[in-house]
Amino acid sequence: MIHFFIFLPVLASLLIFLVPVRWREEFAGAAAGLTLAGGLWSWSVGGLSYYSVPWIPALGVTYSVQMDGVSLLLGIVTAFMTLIAIIYAGKRIPNPGTMLSLILMMETGLLGIYAARDLVLFYVFFEDALIPALLMLAIYGKANRMAALVKFAAYTLFGSLLMLISIIGLKYYGGSPTFALVDLQAHPVTGTLQTWLFLGFLAAMAVKLPLFPMHAWLPDFHAQNHDSGVADVMGTLYKVGAYGLFRFAVVLFPDAMLELRPILMGLAAFTALYAAWIAFSQTDWKRLLAYAGLSHMGFVGLGIFSMNETAMIGALFLLAFQNIYTGALFLAAGMLQERVGSLSTKVGGIMTQAGALSGMTMTLWFASIGVPGLVGFVGEFSILLGAYQVSPWLAFIAGLTTIAAAAYGLTAFQTTYWQVRPAGAVLAHDLRDLDWLILGAPIAVSIFFGVYSGPALALVQPVVRTWMAGLGGGL
Amino acid sequence: MLPILITLLGAIAATLLGFFLPRRAITVISMVTLVLSGVSMVTLWNGGLTSFNGSLQADNVALSIGLIILLGSLMTLLVSFDTAARAKLAFPEFDALLLYAVTGTLLIAFSGDLVTMLIGLEVMSLSGYVIATLQNSRRAEEAGMKYFLLGAVGSATLIYGIALVYGATGTFSYVGIRDATAGLQVENISLLVVGALLLLCGFGFKVALAPFHQWTPDLYSGAPTVVGLFLSTVVKVAAFAGMLRVFGGAMQNVPAWASVMQILIIATIVIGNLGALFQTNFKRLMAYSAVAHTGFLALALLANPATGGPALTYYLLVYTLMTAGAFAVLAALQRTEEGFSLDDMRGLFYRHPAYAVALAVCLASLAGLPPFAGFMGKYLAFQAAFQAGYVGLTLIAAMGSVAALIYYLRPAMLMFMHDRTPAREYPGERTPTTAAVVLGVVGVTVLGVLPNLAYGLVANPAIWTVLAGR
Repeated sequence: MIHFFIFLPVLASLLIFLVPVRWREEFAGAAAGLTLAGGLWSWSVGGLSYYSVPWIPALGVTYSVQMDGVSLLLGIVTAFMTLIAIIYAGKRIPNPGTMLSLILMMETGLLGIYAARDLVLFYVFFEDALIPALLMLAIYGKANRMAALVKFAAYTLFGSLLMLISIIGLKYYGGSPTFALVDLQAHPVTGTLQTWLFLGFLAAMAVKLPLFPMHAWLPDFHAQNHDSGVADVMGTLYKVGAYGLFRFAVVLFPDAMLELRPILMGLAAFTALYAAWIAFSQTDWKRLLAYAGLSHMGFVGLGIFSMNETAMIGALFLLAFQNIYTGALFLAAGMLQERVGSLSTKVGGIMTQAGALSGMTMTLWFASIGVPGLVGFVGEFSILLGAYQVSPWLAFIAGLTTIAAAAYGLTAFQTTYWQVRPAGAVLAHDLRDLDWLILGAPIAVSIFFGVYSGPALALVQPVVRTWMAGLGGGL
Repeated sequence: MLPILITLLGAIAATLLGFFLPRRAITVISMVTLVLSGVSMVTLWNGGLTSFNGSLQADNVALSIGLIILLGSLMTLLVSFDTAARAKLAFPEFDALLLYAVTGTLLIAFSGDLVTMLIGLEVMSLSGYVIATLQNSRRAEEAGMKYFLLGAVGSATLIYGIALVYGATGTFSYVGIRDATAGLQVENISLLVVGALLLLCGFGFKVALAPFHQWTPDLYSGAPTVVGLFLSTVVKVAAFAGMLRVFGGAMQNVPAWASVMQILIIATIVIGNLGALFQTNFKRLMAYSAVAHTGFLALALLANPATGGPALTYYLLVYTLMTAGAFAVLAALQRTEEGFSLDDMRGLFYRHPAYAVALAVCLASLAGLPPFAGFMGKYLAFQAAFQAGYVGLTLIAAMGSVAALIYYLRPAMLMFMHDRTPAREYPGERTPTTAAVVLGVVGVTVLGVLPNLAYGLVANPAIWTVLAGR
């Protein structure tokens, strides 16, 4: 079952070229739907258990996968947003076969990242998700995509190659027989060596998180991607740095993480505030959303680096659900572009002509800026609560971000959707048929888990508790 | 010594029959010869035979590298089927010389002493010089001339090194040299060290380690594409086989060469990758990338043979598949032998989707992106070097890979960008070339997902302890 869940999308992405052109959207949708159903079924049976076989025995590389609570939550969210993205891509992009195939290919990469319990396997999936992202940007991007592409790839590979060396070092110095997480945990590396290896690992995760000095690829990546926002949804899902840190760094490099905790938390808080500051002056919805996402990721980083149980639960929760509302906001921006032909935040007056689109966008923004009752609040509040116990000042700085978020989000919303529609502007039509589902489903999820976060938290909590208990408490 | 004899017989047959048969028939005969040679190698697996008193040894190391050489040669012949006429290379002599070169490369892989190795190297190089100049064009002549002059210097250095090593140890055979240097009870240690370093320089010319690489860009871009394919895969594999025998086996305990090698590797990685970053012609880019890959391959040589040996073999196999695949696509689509400029590749995906995807796979593999085999090759080389304690060197290699990703990515992504200008490719179907491309792409993908298929065969450390022979 777990292999089905991971590899169904990639299989579909290859088969899609055999399907007649007019059935491709339906085929991709069915594959994504089945994957999501697989995820929900796994949830109902309480996760998918550990499975491990040797992959390259001579090297100690194993194929080890598992879907426990945290992985499952992120996996289901990925499957859900992939389905939404596919529905929108099928509707919006003419002749979408290639795009649908890339989306599905990327889904497998992402699900693999969450399922992998072997560091080399993790690396393989980590890079696998990169290829379709690059191709999407190359095929569907805008005029300056080459520069954005090179920047994105260079940052990513720079980090991951350092991580690869760390992975090699981890096994070699620890003397573990395989790269499987359980074996590596049993053969820890200690002392200064651990710090160095952690820095290598951090390099890759900080790029993906992204953390302050490594973030420069992100705004260009989003700004140069296709107007529809479909590629951006996948880009949002690709921010797996926090997950990697939680899954591997917390248990493999605990001392190093504690030692560097003040610096890393500071960087994360700074990232959150700095990104919010820059977002404030953006005039392009894509860039604005990119910086908003960056700001959220700073929050997530703060939660992970604080090594505090509450904050970590909040961070993973936020990581999962941020994908939903930010992804949906990217799609909403795509819809805006479709209607008025521009991504500017100064369009004005959309509310009068497209009320439903504006209302739904606003709801999603409320989720994004952490209004209670919506899902963004739960995550942000838990992070601040936990981080406060570790470092009140940094929590305070990061807390300022929520105010800044309201400022940039609502200002941009106001200048686009309220105010007066300029004379002679095109008539913006409102939501039609599937548009309702595309924005409605994420909103429904955001409200449901915002009010009743229990089921989602129940997935995350036990895993985080076990992970933190493995560190011997006292943290 | 059947495999070598078979290729030699094939070469002779190609020479003689060339007077009577058309070229395509000769090519078919040559390919059959290569396959037969491969079959005979497979039957010798685990046999551990030697002949001529240990001068030739068919241990598993020799056989696995021999098979890689045959694979590269086979792909060359497949590509030459279609493109030789266009490249003005369609004489039977081309096949004959190619087979002589293959015979030489096999001699290197199977060699048990320095003299056999040298003979193989010379046979290979002389044939290589002629193949490079066979095309009647100024560019090919210039390329061949440079190759010949620098290659001759390399050979001279190598011979001088062999002489000094003989002077120091009193023997040519790898076993003898290893025994003599095992406890470093050599009469004249400085003679030995100088000899080893000269050997390193000589090999440096052959595998294109910086700063001995200067002939490569001119040769690969000046010579016909199919020749570039052959020289960058088969000849390089053979030269590495020689290095593996000499430095991994015979002279492992000789001091100083490893530190010099480290400097050469750093220079190669830096120069090769930076050079490739600024190329506008795809063929020159591939040439610089070949230099860069030399650096990564050489990492495995520095390591302990038990981990470095299998890493090197696997990497060589993958390198052959992906480089030959990329050159094959180039050979199929280029208008002239100058290859593509990077701008020509814009929108290739919309004109030749299958070739474009194949080339993209080869480039992704060359860049080291999983799930393609290039990643595993690079990973193995890094791991081998890391475990041998060369952490700094591994870090430099990783940084080099970042640059590599950028220059492989640019052409790969340009192919997928829309372009409205008319096609600039050579039209038409080329089945044998396509077969070579398919071989490369399928090989790279399968070996990437299931690396154990190839790695498992050579992973046994025991076969790497006998590199110098028994």
